Amino acid sequence: MSCVKTLWQLLILTLLLVGLSACDIKDDLLPSDDDERGTVESGSIGNMPGQIAADFTLKNIFNNDFVLSDHLAGGSDPADVVVLYFTMWCPICTSHTDHIYTNIIPQFSSRGTVVYALIDYVSGSVSATYNIAQANGYLTPKFDILADVDQAIYNQFNGAMGITIVIDSDGTILMNEDFRSGETLVEILDQQLPL
Amino acid sequence: MKYNKKMFINHLRAALASGTTLCLIPVVFMGMSSSAHAASCCGGGSASSLVLPKFAEGMIDISMDYEHYTGIWDNDGDWNSEPNDLNQYRINLGYAHRLAPNWQASVTLPYVFNRNKYPTLERNTSGMGDGTISVWYEAFEKITCVWDVKKWEDLMPAVYLGGTLTVPTGISPYDDVADNFDITGRGAYRLDASMLIDKTIYPWNMSFGASYGKYLERPINQEYGTNVEPYRKQLGDRFNTNLSFGYTYFTDEMDSITGTLAYAILKEDEAIIDGTVDTTSGFRKETISATLAWASENRDWVYKLTFNHSPTSDDWGENFATTNVITVGVSHVLR
Repeated sequence: MSCVKTLWQLLILTLLLVGLSACDIKDDLLPSDDDERGTVESGSIGNMPGQIAADFTLKNIFNNDFVLSDHLAGGSDPADVVVLYFTMWCPICTSHTDHIYTNIIPQFSSRGTVVYALIDYVSGSVSATYNIAQANGYLTPKFDILADVDQAIYNQFNGAMGITIVIDSDGTILMNEDFRSGETLVEILDQQLPL
Repeated sequence: MKYNKKMFINHLRAALASGTTLCLIPVVFMGMSSSAHAASCCGGGSASSLVLPKFAEGMIDISMDYEHYTGIWDNDGDWNSEPNDLNQYRINLGYAHRLAPNWQASVTLPYVFNRNKYPTLERNTSGMGDGTISVWYEAFEKITCVWDVKKWEDLMPAVYLGGTLTVPTGISPYDDVADNFDITGRGAYRLDASMLIDKTIYPWNMSFGASYGKYLERPINQEYGTNVEPYRKQLGDRFNTNLSFGYTYFTDEMDSITGTLAYAILKEDEAIIDGTVDTTSGFRKETISATLAWASENRDWVYKLTFNHSPTSDDWGENFATTNVITVGVSHVLR
């Protein structure tokens, strides 16, 4: 009985400590599968799926401008789909990057034009982004690496490590969520670029 | 006065007769979960499991970690250096309690401070890390530390079998957080089965530990504070093993100073998301560490200093961060 009592004391102690920050952590202690997404006004400017992405311009590592609208319908270099990936060069970021570039994009290369760009939101300058891209062996791949020097695009899309944005040729956001396994990205590209 | 073998044996006999012990090697189960996945970008802040010395009634453990990020291993095991100043500090609180002659339980809880500095971005965040609740069974009846091996029984090691529940008290990407800089935990419950085998033939010590952990699947309906279509995720199974060798020096005052070198491997399998294997996840990490522990004459107070190092070269890990961790701590044993 004393053992049980002690276990209860240990449990209570733990629960007290947990309770100190319960507001911050209840989502993990008692995770929910409720769909709490709100509705968005279709066609409005914003960062949620169904909304229109505001135009932006970023420098790539070669100091050239990457303008979103250039890659939308009517732009100078239109694509069917634009895929943006927020990286802070962490292990999982490079793992995702490699997977997108070597496994996902090639599946759709014959089905349409996919513009794929990494957005570096931590390095703070084009030269620093260039250096870390070089260190990771990303100077030669055929995708853009963009320097979000003042985190403007990071804030625009409510970005974070691994957040992946998919935008169609009309500028409509189709995806704004963690890359996860890449399955959602493949599904969306399948829908946008049918066989 | 020189502390010699005869005095040690006499002291050991007296200690055994009074129900106390000199054998205080496995104070903290190093490497089993400590700092195993600490990173503001990866989640972390898991505390160490505590293991109580035989015959002790309880133990309070307080330690502080300073973890500095030196780079990453990519999927191919190639190492790249970290150009930014990324650090994590942790304060770990732990308490272990004897439940019965061969049973003990413990709780640990870390508080985590993330200190990340980029050229134009500096983020300082803090919060609780993931806590643990452990139960250990001691599969031995007597102190197994010996000075001489005179019979086969003297080679008998101390064997501990344990179970640990990691509780997601930390802040994960699936909490209502602003971004990845706030992260202090992994966001999922995990059950570990552990084994620790420890043998001391004074002044030498060797221990081997292994654990296998399974994360529980959980639903997710938000990422970094943004609501998303609900899905289910189960992090990959985790295997952790470590081997250590130690040497103990006794001072004239019968204080002990123990130096320990350890090698550990941590491996986590790929996660499963809505039934699909996430081939971009999973990791492996090898570390080496050195610990210096000073214990008072009655072994009631133990002061520890540990340096844990991830080799900054290729193939010592995959898909994971490399860090150096300095830990200072003190344990107080309650008789």
